[in-house]
Amino acid sequence: MKKIVLSLAVITGLFSNINADDMADMKAEIEALNQKVVKLEKKQKRTTKTLTTVKKHDAYDNVKFGVDFRNAVDVLEYKDNKTGTTVSNPSLLTSRLYLTMASSPMQGLTFKGKLAIYSMWGAHAYEDESQPSLKDWAASSKATDTVMRVKEAYFVYSNKLGTQPVSVSIGRRPSTNGFLANYRENEKTSGSPLAHITNMEVNAAMLRLGFSRFVEGSYSKFVYGRAHSGDMNNVYGTGSNPWGPYAGDTAVDDYDVDFFVFLGDAYNNGQYQLAYQWAHIFNTKGLRLSDAKAKAAAGEADLAALSFKVDGIGDEISDFLDDTTVFVSLAATQYSPKDGYSLLGSTDKTRGYSYWLGANVPDGFTDAGKFGVEYNHGSKNWTPMTWAEDTASGSKIAVRGDAYEAYWNFNLFGVKYLPSQVRYTYAQHDYTPNVSCSGWTTPKEVDITSSDLRFAVSYRY
Amino acid sequence: MNTYKKVAVATILGLSLLGTTLSADADKGQRIYMKKLKSVCGMSGGVFAAKNDQATWADANDNGTLGETMTEVCPAGKEFFESSKFQNKFSSHLYDFVNEFASDSGNIPSC
Repeated sequence: MKKIVLSLAVITGLFSNINADDMADMKAEIEALNQKVVKLEKKQKRTTKTLTTVKKHDAYDNVKFGVDFRNAVDVLEYKDNKTGTTVSNPSLLTSRLYLTMASSPMQGLTFKGKLAIYSMWGAHAYEDESQPSLKDWAASSKATDTVMRVKEAYFVYSNKLGTQPVSVSIGRRPSTNGFLANYRENEKTSGSPLAHITNMEVNAAMLRLGFSRFVEGSYSKFVYGRAHSGDMNNVYGTGSNPWGPYAGDTAVDDYDVDFFVFLGDAYNNGQYQLAYQWAHIFNTKGLRLSDAKAKAAAGEADLAALSFKVDGIGDEISDFLDDTTVFVSLAATQYSPKDGYSLLGSTDKTRGYSYWLGANVPDGFTDAGKFGVEYNHGSKNWTPMTWAEDTASGSKIAVRGDAYEAYWNFNLFGVKYLPSQVRYTYAQHDYTPNVSCSGWTTPKEVDITSSDLRFAVSYRY
Repeated sequence: MNTYKKVAVATILGLSLLGTTLSADADKGQRIYMKKLKSVCGMSGGVFAAKNDQATWADANDNGTLGETMTEVCPAGKEFFESSKFQNKFSSHLYDFVNEFASDSGNIPSC
């Protein structure tokens, strides 16, 4: 027993000596490692800081491009119920490519742009019949094409004058697929104007004043622009005064068509949004009575709309109601011809009215899919400016009669970069279809129906 | 319904149902911010998201401290960020949103 105790004492003594030495070494090593870790941490912090700075700089030191590439087939059918005549197209095949651009070189200054190609498969590249052999798919392979369409290009500068938020902008405005039209177009955000009365590309200058400090989400925009440049001598000076390119010459009663638009949100808390717009158009096109000349500067037009949207019914009653959107919009147009001219077939003021109802609800079986239904009604003289509305059978918002629409927006394969759509639009035209929104066309009583069934698949990133 | 319509309908319906992915949604996050936080925080969603870089938002999300980090940016929203609904229902969508428009994201909000 004594031997065992003695042995244990010797072993313990030996180990305690070893541990003491090792501990000292280990302590020194740990201290050295700690110093290294501190140095590395400092270095990592500096690297992270530099990386973040570089990343921030790099992220905005460029023009960021995006792609929206849509392919669609439209099945079109029309019928004149008075004569029984029908026309149809079982497969209108189209491709639409948007190249979007955005840059922001400094806080408060942004540029946005959109280049667009929208072509029909196998169509002639140009409406000019002198080049009938040039198909849409051949144009970019032949040394004849110089066309790149600019759908949007504008910059916005935002700042504050005292406590007043101010933004100014100039360029080709985001004036298509505006407020409420974005749902049927399967676009998450809308363009600037109220789509009930204006849906067209325009060049304009804009001043925006924010009033959120008084009324939640409130702002107003003042927009002045030009939709049409009047007749003038061309750059080759072949007009009546060849010494004055880009000036003079209004022989065909063709003046500049300028417009002023006042629009904004009266209230917007993210759930309830009330938007308004009034547009005044100068020298709008109509009919010169002396010689029945169409597209003559014939007077003025006023368009107004009030749109109300509810984004989410109630407050967290259910996911379905939270993701449901409903809206109602009221609008009117007034065309005022000057002496010697007519607008919409009248030498007096004419007024048209319209209302638009819509609902957009989750489809219940795909992650982000939505069903939508819409109804439009327009009176005899209802004539909004909705040239750019993307409905193959003609603007359904501009219908002089009734239009019904149902659509299903969903992500193909559940991939959010592949937004797709099935849409059916049916219109009953009680008066001349408002296909070109032209002031020189007289609305006459008709009984025409049209239907457009669209299947569309997009790549969007 | 003609053959063309039938084929198109069947193809689209079939393809759409091949796969659905449950995921957080930056757009939904933006809508949640508009409804629940914009007036409380007194700043637009773009400004809110750009208060931090992507790494900071990602760290907070990974560490389960997204609510605290958002409270630092918007102290007035503390009650919302501490609520169980934020944790269970809104945080993933809001994270996707702030990550998309973080200060070093390079993405430019529409307004």
